[in-house]
Amino acid sequence: MGARGAKDGNMIKVRDIVALLDAEVLSGENKLDEEVKSVGASDMISDILALTNPGMIVLTGYTYPQVIRTALVTDLLGLIVVRGKNIAPETITYARENNFLLMRTRGYLYSSCGKIYGMGLRGSDAGK
Amino acid sequence: MPENNKLARYAAIFEDIKAGDIMSSNVVEISAEKKIAHAKELMKIKKISGMPVVDEQRRLVGIISIEDIIHALEFNKINDPIRRIMSTQVVTIHQGDSLAAVVDKFENFKFGRFPVVDDDNRVCGIISKEDILHGILEKFNLIYIHDRKRTTTLNTEYSAITGEKLNAEEANFHYRIDSSDIDAAGTGAAKLKQFLSGKNFHNDIVRRVGVATYEAETNVVIHSRGQGDIYFFQDEDRFIVRVVDNGVGIEDLDKAMKEGYSTAPDHIRERGFGAGMGIANMKRFADKLVIISEKNAGTQVEMIFYLPTQTWPLI
Repeated sequence: MGARGAKDGNMIKVRDIVALLDAEVLSGENKLDEEVKSVGASDMISDILALTNPGMIVLTGYTYPQVIRTALVTDLLGLIVVRGKNIAPETITYARENNFLLMRTRGYLYSSCGKIYGMGLRGSDAGK
Repeated sequence: MPENNKLARYAAIFEDIKAGDIMSSNVVEISAEKKIAHAKELMKIKKISGMPVVDEQRRLVGIISIEDIIHALEFNKINDPIRRIMSTQVVTIHQGDSLAAVVDKFENFKFGRFPVVDDDNRVCGIISKEDILHGILEKFNLIYIHDRKRTTTLNTEYSAITGEKLNAEEANFHYRIDSSDIDAAGTGAAKLKQFLSGKNFHNDIVRRVGVATYEAETNVVIHSRGQGDIYFFQDEDRFIVRVVDNGVGIEDLDKAMKEGYSTAPDHIRERGFGAGMGIANMKRFADKLVIISEKNAGTQVEMIFYLPTQTWPLI
């Protein structure tokens, strides 16, 4: 079965992305059935603050606890850390304390974004 | 620059501001045929001291104030129609009047606010002194005062935007910023957002407050090298966030305002900060932003977020 996508008219759930990227879920396991409506990628705090929409999933190479705080302030649905990076234990603890969806994939940023884009999901600049 | 040229330039900046642009449009008005008792109740609920009075076509015919109502109570006329006691000598502002004309009205008549009317003499808004200030701030979007005389403005109890008194001890929320710990940057904003989340406000405004405060707080941690505080004040129709520090101040605001410009050192950039978006983001997410800063005297950021307005039906 191929990846399900928005272009088929199907709703895309967190678990579809987890399967596509072979990602591990480090926190927020109860959110796997939530719908994903848009996705972004950034390593800069200010960009995440300014350019995301509430409910987005963001791919990042950023692993400090700060990233969870940023995501919580901006109402993100979840974060995917790329390149299988080591994540500080404080970051994971902070995510768990707030039941925040934190995932990790071995894929690189570009390829992971490409795969998700291929499912039919677009970014916060879609239509602009 | 010669003084005259300066004045002419300022006048040109405000030339296109019309009364209609700066007025508050959710004005409470009342029909002249209603009872005075009705006006009394409405003014009590809306906590206002006067109201424009209109006819059936919503044309302005008078104004009623607290004094008029007290008078009616004294003479047992509270069930009379408003038109019997209202003042019919109303000084109005036309929605097309220039800012200069509006300022003249305030100078010539000592009223706190004026009704704004359209070509058909229908009330379309109301202007207070505060609205004028808002109009000017809107034009600049931001005011930066870098002047010795203004040292007294820093850390005062008065709002730089509205002039109202903001007593730090009466803040609904306060957070002391630990500017020695980069990992803690944003904690105050996260706590403020959490504080607001439980209070039934619209998600959008809570998120905007969170993001803008996050940027202001991060600036204190990265740049100020001083002590900082976040204060949050809740008003009937708006939130005010004030982030103050006693640090080194902003040296060149024109540069600091530029997206992408940053003086953050490398170890800060490695942590995902220093994108040079801080002030730009505050501007993007706050409805009003004022930054007052002086070299070596600190920085004060004040942001206003308007709560979605409720429309009040014609009674």
